[in-house]
Amino acid sequence: MCGVDYLGSYRLLGLLLILGAAFFTVAFTANRLLSRRAPSAGKNATYECGIDPVGGDWAQAQVRYYVYAYLYVLFAVESVFLFPWAVTYALDGFGMVTVVEMAIFVAVLALGLLYAWRKRVLSWT
Amino acid sequence: MSKFPFLTLLVTLPLLGALILAFFPRSAGELAKRFALVWTLVVFALTVGAWLAFKAGGDRFQLKDDYPWIPQWGVRFTFEVDGIALVMVALIGLLVPLIVVASWKTVEALDGNRSVPAYFALLLALQGMMIGVFAASDVLLFYVFFEAMLVPMYFLIGSYGSHQRRQYAAVKFFLYSLVGGLFMLAAVIGLWVLGGNTFDWHTLVEAEFTTWAERWMFLGFFVAFAIKAPFFPFHTWLPDAGSAAPAPAAALLVAVMDKVGTFGILRYCLSLFPNASKYFAPLAIALALVGIIYGALLAVGQNDLKRLVSYTSIAHFGFIGIGIFAFTTQAGSGAVLYMLNHGLATGLLFLVVGFLVARRGSASIKDFGGAGKLVPWLSGVFFIAGMASLALPGTSPFVSEFLVLLGVFAVNKTVAVIATLGIVLAAAYVLWMYQRTMQGTLNPALNEVPAMKKDLSVRELAVVAPLIGLILFLGFYPKPVLDVINPAVQATFTQDLGVSDPAPKSEAKK
Amino acid sequence: MTFKLPAIDYLALAPMLVLFGAACAGVLVDALVPREWRYHVQVPLSLVALLASGGFVVALANRKEHVVTAGSAVVIDGPGLFLQGSIVVLGIVALFLVAERRLEPGGAFVAQAAVVAGSEADRKQMRKPGVTEVYPMMLFALAGMMLFCSANDLLTMFVALEVFSLPLYLLCALARRRRLLSQEAAVKYFLLGAFASAFFLYGVAMIYGYAGKVDFRGINEAVLGSSNSKTLLLIGLAMLAIGLLFKVAAVPFHVWTPDVYQGAPTPITAFMAACTKVAAFGGLLRVLYVAFERSSWDFRPTLGVIAAATMIVGAVLAVTQTDIKRLLAYSSVANAGYLLTGTLSMNRDGLKYTMFYLVAYGFTVLAAFAIVMLVRDSDGEATHLARWAGLGRRSPVFASLFTFLMLAFAGIPLTSGFTAKFGVFAAAVGGNMTWLVIIGVLSSMILAFPYLRVVVLMWLSVPGDDTPTVSVPGAFTAAALFVGVAMTLVLGVAPNQALELVNDAGAFLR
Repeated sequence: MCGVDYLGSYRLLGLLLILGAAFFTVAFTANRLLSRRAPSAGKNATYECGIDPVGGDWAQAQVRYYVYAYLYVLFAVESVFLFPWAVTYALDGFGMVTVVEMAIFVAVLALGLLYAWRKRVLSWT
Repeated sequence: MSKFPFLTLLVTLPLLGALILAFFPRSAGELAKRFALVWTLVVFALTVGAWLAFKAGGDRFQLKDDYPWIPQWGVRFTFEVDGIALVMVALIGLLVPLIVVASWKTVEALDGNRSVPAYFALLLALQGMMIGVFAASDVLLFYVFFEAMLVPMYFLIGSYGSHQRRQYAAVKFFLYSLVGGLFMLAAVIGLWVLGGNTFDWHTLVEAEFTTWAERWMFLGFFVAFAIKAPFFPFHTWLPDAGSAAPAPAAALLVAVMDKVGTFGILRYCLSLFPNASKYFAPLAIALALVGIIYGALLAVGQNDLKRLVSYTSIAHFGFIGIGIFAFTTQAGSGAVLYMLNHGLATGLLFLVVGFLVARRGSASIKDFGGAGKLVPWLSGVFFIAGMASLALPGTSPFVSEFLVLLGVFAVNKTVAVIATLGIVLAAAYVLWMYQRTMQGTLNPALNEVPAMKKDLSVRELAVVAPLIGLILFLGFYPKPVLDVINPAVQATFTQDLGVSDPAPKSEAKK
Repeated sequence: MTFKLPAIDYLALAPMLVLFGAACAGVLVDALVPREWRYHVQVPLSLVALLASGGFVVALANRKEHVVTAGSAVVIDGPGLFLQGSIVVLGIVALFLVAERRLEPGGAFVAQAAVVAGSEADRKQMRKPGVTEVYPMMLFALAGMMLFCSANDLLTMFVALEVFSLPLYLLCALARRRRLLSQEAAVKYFLLGAFASAFFLYGVAMIYGYAGKVDFRGINEAVLGSSNSKTLLLIGLAMLAIGLLFKVAAVPFHVWTPDVYQGAPTPITAFMAACTKVAAFGGLLRVLYVAFERSSWDFRPTLGVIAAATMIVGAVLAVTQTDIKRLLAYSSVANAGYLLTGTLSMNRDGLKYTMFYLVAYGFTVLAAFAIVMLVRDSDGEATHLARWAGLGRRSPVFASLFTFLMLAFAGIPLTSGFTAKFGVFAAAVGGNMTWLVIIGVLSSMILAFPYLRVVVLMWLSVPGDDTPTVSVPGAFTAAALFVGVAMTLVLGVAPNQALELVNDAGAFLR
């Protein structure tokens, strides 16, 4: 049966999954069985530091946070691409071409940053 | 073969006229009427020219004009007519000028400020498309005209209709016809794919199909034509459309446009799908018979003049139907002649009813009664139209009805006998209609209506006189028309369909 | 491990590169040029870029040399170029609608999308000119669509999918009026679109698992030769199909369509209806015809059912609509069904006529939305159908044009709707999908009703006090309207040139 052979290569993975699940279950069960418990109202509060929560749990977050997150993702992605590029750069015949290509890539990202800067996203008022 | 492109001009000229009229300002109503009249008279002159150029007893198809259109699909502008189509084109050429004259005051009489030039533009567009339907011998071209024809008629009913249900009637008319058209489209596509990517009628006639494909395609075409004609049980749009449309447009609808259905059955269903036609003939004859009796019975019970005339048409189309599907040349010739005569007689009847309704402001029979005393001339014309409609000997419909019955009798006596019942009922509805509207004591309400005191005007006389003349002339001497029709019908039945007449006596009749 | 530098045919990529470059330049313009100048720089920039891109497409089409380039990521072949060309041309017309600022001070787009709808700041910005980022976003979307049609592997296709989807999500949210509806539309479109993208990507993974390749040629070979379980192939194909069918708005993945079409600014709705359809079907055609042609036995029944459901559901739901934009949205769903019918023919005609349909439909729908933009009152566009009552009396010219477009949608001959439908149906009959054609014909009948209802409303109803006026179009909208209507007519009456083009486009390069 080709199906069995095909799945056979996943045997190890399956074993690992089972082991992982077992470890997790055993650890938490042991914790539950062995630990002492002293529940109190303070421990169930949202912030354990002692500050009382105010208002509902649905609050509007400032849209600016998202913009910053986007800008971060922009450059995180850039660095992901920069690593493999650094490896191929040294290969024969790749030098100048790759530099120009990466320059274009970075320039496009920089364009985004420039746009964000001109739209005064970077200054927090 | 004539070099003069009669058919091309006959199709394009009215369309061009419609285009010109569409640019007339609203205020130029009077000018638009005169323009439309002159234009349609020119078209009529051309029709006469085409009739004279057509050599009876010559080739089956004549006056061919052929231009390329969409080479990738093998579609061409091919116009040519056989005797059947020529008769129908002539009927259109004759009727439309009369209808223009009859429409002289129709639009102004309507409530709301409606555009006169637009009305005549639609009328001319309809004329061009109807001629196109009959003249096309390319299947797709035929389909294009068949569908496009709906649009002007839809607006004529919807915008210029005379009563409250005109919107309903217009939409019903359009949807019914469109449904049929789409069935036909499916069949046309099948024909194109199976027939070798061509739309040329002559090539397709030679093509062979498998039994099932042929039957399905036959049904696709047949449903479209049965709705158009209309045959029972696809008829329910006609009384609505006929009663809602302005009387002249209704005359055109019933007298010419519906003939597209019967013409299509002859030219397309029978010729392209001979085996399927034979297979389905009993069904078609049964539907036609039901139509004769049912249409006549409902006509007897109508209280609305325009609806009544519409139902009589359904009965008459039943006669044409049995004439076609009897598959004898005699009945076939009778059916084609019936198409022409019904166009003349019912056209006349609808126009006269239109005159009456315009005077009285109502189409209800109850609102008349004894009107013959007020308008003796009009009542006389009404009587002649009625008599023509019930096929009194001496009027032209008699000849055709007689031929149909004779031809049918030769192959199927039962059908002929049942159909004869329709004649009796025809006498009932026509005479009763005439009695209730024109005879007896004068309805006192009619005295209140000043318009009812005016008898036939010169304009109206000019409309009805040619029709009455033709009806009487063809009643006594149908030979010139039969000479044109007979070869075409014979070719349809013997060449395309492959049936021969059962008895030798049909030859003697010619 | 060795790498080889992929050879890049820059000329072959030029149409897309120009647009990407211009889009980046557009972002730069928005960052650096003073606010009052931006519109006057962006519009010419976009127009020039699109014209240049179109020029390159024409040059490439004349080169007649079909290439696989950029390391087999992109293929430039006849159908690809045709689709790219249509996207550019339709994009130019859509740009005209987007650039219109005469109808409403500041254009159809909001000045600051992030302002809370209905707030003080929102009321203040009503008079301000709209955002100019729409132009670079449109260019990005167009370039992405072009790449989508000419991608040669599934990963490039996915990237292209995202490149054209993301700007569209944003563009949907930018309506000046009815901001909440617009934002809701954008969120819906984004969330569902993200789901669909995820499905697509998952499908890519499955296909990779099956074939060990993501390029179409490799998949095609694997379908024949791979020893892996076919389940993976089928699951992968199903997932891919879901992602693609979402974009083409096929039932049951169509639920976003009416909301998004209604909420988005009308020029963007037009843009989506015309260009996204081309791109999505271009991608679907390539995937099915190039990569999975050999498993057509597996997917044709399933996709056939989807096509049938799409036609019927789209048509039936269109009947119940009371908003013109929603009506057009459901009509677009039904049209996706007809396009699928053509696509599933899986023969050369299927490819040809699906492409022809895409172009024909694109022009018609652009013109239709152009008129929707024009019918306005003090509250912006009056999209409720009841408000359109009697429009024919108020502004007969625009009502005539809209009637013509509605007839085109209904597939009446002499409009592009007819020729397009004829093409795909003929292809499907040739490809043994006759049952789909019959369902297509049936659904066309249902679909004719809503179109007809609009016509009835415009012409046969009496205008009320609140019948909106039709604004005088600015030069841009007038141009778009003219091009759309003219192409609808030309492709319906003389489609020779366009048919020649799709014919010359030939088959996909594998």
